[in-house]
Amino acid sequence: MATSELSLKSVRKTFGALEVIKGVDLEIEKGEFTVFVGPSGCGKSTLLRMIAGLEDISSGELEISGQRMNETDPSKRGIAMVFQSYALYPHLTVRQNMGFALRFAGVPKAEIEKQVMDAARILELEKLLDRRPKALSGGQRQRVAIGRAIVRHPKVFLFDEPLSNLDAELRVHMRVEIAKLHKKLGATVVYVTHDQVEAMTLADKIVVLRDGRIEQVGSPLQLYSDPDNRFVAGFIGSPKMNFLPATAVTNNGQPSIRLDASGIVLPAGHLATGLADGTRLVAGLRPEIFKDGGDSSLLLDIEMVEHLGSETLVHARSGETLVTVKYSGIRPMKDGETVRAEFDAANVLFFGADDQRIR
Amino acid sequence: MDRLTRTLSSVFTYAFLGIMAFLSIFPFIWMILGATNTSIDIVKGKVGIGSALMDNIRAFAAAVDVPLIFWNSIKIALLSTALTLIVASLAGYGFEVFRSKYRERVYSAILLTLMVPFAALMIPLFIMMGKLGLIDTHWAVILPTLGSAFVIFYFRQSTKAFPSELRDAARVDGLKEWQIFLLIYVPVMRSTYAAAFIIVFMASWNNYLWPLIVLQSNEMKTITLVVSSMASAYYPDFGAVMVSAILATLPTLVVFFVMQRQFVQGMIGSIK
Repeated sequence: MATSELSLKSVRKTFGALEVIKGVDLEIEKGEFTVFVGPSGCGKSTLLRMIAGLEDISSGELEISGQRMNETDPSKRGIAMVFQSYALYPHLTVRQNMGFALRFAGVPKAEIEKQVMDAARILELEKLLDRRPKALSGGQRQRVAIGRAIVRHPKVFLFDEPLSNLDAELRVHMRVEIAKLHKKLGATVVYVTHDQVEAMTLADKIVVLRDGRIEQVGSPLQLYSDPDNRFVAGFIGSPKMNFLPATAVTNNGQPSIRLDASGIVLPAGHLATGLADGTRLVAGLRPEIFKDGGDSSLLLDIEMVEHLGSETLVHARSGETLVTVKYSGIRPMKDGETVRAEFDAANVLFFGADDQRIR
Repeated sequence: MDRLTRTLSSVFTYAFLGIMAFLSIFPFIWMILGATNTSIDIVKGKVGIGSALMDNIRAFAAAVDVPLIFWNSIKIALLSTALTLIVASLAGYGFEVFRSKYRERVYSAILLTLMVPFAALMIPLFIMMGKLGLIDTHWAVILPTLGSAFVIFYFRQSTKAFPSELRDAARVDGLKEWQIFLLIYVPVMRSTYAAAFIIVFMASWNNYLWPLIVLQSNEMKTITLVVSSMASAYYPDFGAVMVSAILATLPTLVVFFVMQRQFVQGMIGSIK
């Protein structure tokens, strides 16, 4: 049985009268790569800082390796943190930066040197050890920041949007590096990002946050294919899921759902929830479910086509609603055309008026 | 036409800058030339190199105990500067980094003291120093400069550029608050310290009115007081006055030119 390395129980954070973390319960297993995602201001960084000990916990319990850590000093929690701006000490060399925490923990010089060299080898930083941070590129600085975390051998690595300051190409490269590093070290990682591609590619477990609350916890594919609510469905996946107003109807004696704008009727017999006729719903169609030969279709007026080579993105309208369709490969479509976009009705998700998923 | 306007504009700009530069530098040139002339030549308005430099130096050295007044000035300026930098940087850092309900109120109260003219403070300060038994001591000059509202303000503004993530990283690395200040903040903000050093050192070195009030015996006096007293004698020896003015100016010039780069960096922001 897997042991829980990090546990949050009804954790709350208030700033005066303002509650920013509204009761978070979460278990993170040993060796798991957990990603906190959510829009700006959802509390993901605050939650990470609470785990690190950089923000006080107003109420609730934080446990790391089974020990209560609410009041423990950040340096004694068994964590190491990598910051968005790298937070390297500009007046120290790479070697001094990486060994800084160990020096303050009273580790003997020879041991510090060994740890620093080991981490430098893993991160290919050996040639940069005597440079100052300002003489390094963004990617190198981030590697040093990761190296500084590694030498501490923490129980939990905390990453606070570590790739946000890098350019697109370097971000992809560092993402792969972090994934490899996690595999090599087998460490428990909590990683904060607002980039859902980072979340999908790195995570064993994604925690979607909104407004200080957890919306859903699950594996990347679970969140993608089986979201609990409209927020998660809209947040995970790129381009975003299309949401079309719909109404529950009975069609030929069968429970069905009619898309309001187009009038097409989709079967709803597979839904366990009984829906009274006239119930207002929202149908969720991912842009990538559209394909030739589907059992249902939408008539779309194309507003704009983006030809990306490997895929074609079509921005169109179904009635008043804007719909994005993603086809793989090159499609000979033009702005202003009207097309019939086909899809399988079984791939459509439904949400109630309260935005919760109807299964 | 357009070219002519541009040429004329440049001519006027350079002429204006030239005049301003001349006005700024002329007192220095005159001071140096004056040091080589006799008092009579200076009064006559002679602008040129004379041959009385050694006589003027001898006259100045005979009139005052040069090493002693230099030592007094240096001691006061260095102690004032060092202590002001310690107090103001701790205060500026504290005001910026630590949150408190009363922080802004206390800070505003400190800034308000900038509005009080020194003339209004002289008598209470003198009484205070008298009660502390510090009149005619160098501490009477040093102590009132320590809580400089302007330098606190300067350090607080500069601390805004100090990344909070550095402090967070240091906390995760196990540093206590005083260690973060000493081992991270101070070295990272060294340009800010350099700029503040120049500002405070110059102000302290050139301080005249307050030392004139509290320093009474000759062996306590600073170079600015000596220059002033020589210039206001019944028959002032202007040649010796010019020599003393050069000696009084020299240390601030040296400090400025040595630390010029850090000064400019400190003024535009320490963190790159």
